[in-house]
Amino acid sequence: MNDMNPPSPIPPQIPPSTSLPLGPGQRPPGDDPAEREPIPGVVTAIECILRQPRRVMCQLRQPGSGKLIAAILFVAVVCSLIYGAVVGSFSGGVQWWAAPVKIAAGLLISALICLPSLYIFACLSGSQARLAEIFGFVSGLVMLMTILLIGFAPVAWLFSQSTESLCWMGTLHLLFAMIAMIFGLRFLSGAFAQTNARSQAGLSTWIIIFVLVVLQMTAALRPLVGTSDTFLPTEKKFFVSHWFNCLDQATRDMSRHSRDRSRSRD
Amino acid sequence: MQAQATISNPGAFGTLLRGEANTLAGWSAHFDSRRLATHIGVIILGAGLYGAAMGWWREPLQALFVAIKFPLILLLTAFGNALLNGMLAPLLGLNISFRQSLLAVLMSFAIIAAILGAFAPLAAFLVWNAPPMTPDVKSTATYGFIKLVHVVVIAFAGVVGNARLFQLLVRLGGRRQVAGRVLFAWLAVNLFLGSQLTWIARPFIGSPQLPVVFLRDTAFQGNFYENVFHTILSLLSMN
Repeated sequence: MNDMNPPSPIPPQIPPSTSLPLGPGQRPPGDDPAEREPIPGVVTAIECILRQPRRVMCQLRQPGSGKLIAAILFVAVVCSLIYGAVVGSFSGGVQWWAAPVKIAAGLLISALICLPSLYIFACLSGSQARLAEIFGFVSGLVMLMTILLIGFAPVAWLFSQSTESLCWMGTLHLLFAMIAMIFGLRFLSGAFAQTNARSQAGLSTWIIIFVLVVLQMTAALRPLVGTSDTFLPTEKKFFVSHWFNCLDQATRDMSRHSRDRSRSRD
Repeated sequence: MQAQATISNPGAFGTLLRGEANTLAGWSAHFDSRRLATHIGVIILGAGLYGAAMGWWREPLQALFVAIKFPLILLLTAFGNALLNGMLAPLLGLNISFRQSLLAVLMSFAIIAAILGAFAPLAAFLVWNAPPMTPDVKSTATYGFIKLVHVVVIAFAGVVGNARLFQLLVRLGGRRQVAGRVLFAWLAVNLFLGSQLTWIARPFIGSPQLPVVFLRDTAFQGNFYENVFHTILSLLSMN
């Protein structure tokens, strides 16, 4: 008797995934064999996060990714210390060491403060990522940010040697930090999307929290650019109020300066 | 050399937060003392950390007191209403045992506490950046902002915890309408007891004019609802 239901040559359909759909041209992580190549050292890690971010994302999701995370954090600390020295070069003196220490510590503390909430948001979004993976992604975000800051360092140094305006230098460093953060967060979003998360809403909320924490850290650890009698501020301020005070001071300085000039002309 | 396959999150913690209804329904079906201890541990740790961050602005001793009081409120609410919640569920059409109802409520409270614990470093950072508490603090924008942040975080944790509880009840009962009724009833009784417990356990943020105490002398005088009623009356008489 003939078989009524011959085995179909077509394999059974995989049920549609409820995770975030991959965009056009996007592939699942590790799809390309090159992405499954381990990242052996610090230099490769730097090259990979710039050229092959998906390889870093893929490797961070593997068991035993501790070494890679350690390498990433090492690069982040070194790069932030170097950029900190450039920031400190504006004022010199104590700021040569105070600014690098504050910038490196501030970035790491910001990442650590925000890490638990990112893990919670990831889980609430249905992501299967472990805490170690999330820690790796945040480390990658910080590393990419600091590498980009190193790229901006020569420009920042040139300006810091040619201007005396504290307000201008603060704005410039903030602008560079924001650009670096955009790229870092883009890396994090890419990594997050590959953890089977069903929604990006939690990540978007977390990004707002992270940006606010980093901005507040600039006020909590002030002065980063200028000078002060104490290592940390004695007065607590929210960053918006600190910026307004700086702008107000700069405006008063400028008007006094122009008054002095007009008097000297008379 | 090719790397090994990606591993997924095997932890019970992640399962709880993701609200994997099938697994959670399985958990509630069997009594497991270790799992119960884990849920209670998460409540103590998570709510305790957030409580510490909340009270820290006033004084470190206040932080310690709130770290004890906050988890205590959650646990007393869960256990104080356990019997009533266990009776309401079958009466409203959800045929689950007393143990299942208690474990379901504890799971949702553990989710709430885990979220609060994750936000504790952020709350602590916020308080660290705030100016010290002065006698006129209540009229400042900083006080209002910090209070608002606490309300938003606690409300977010509560909404997520109850959303996960709803998913679990749907899985246990099979019908959204029944699950909704039971959730509403549980919410009503838990809010009723929880708000009075919170009233008794005040202060949380603390006041610079008053000494740091675990419970105020007037803790057991009056109640939350009387106070709300008097506030409404005074507002009406002002108009």
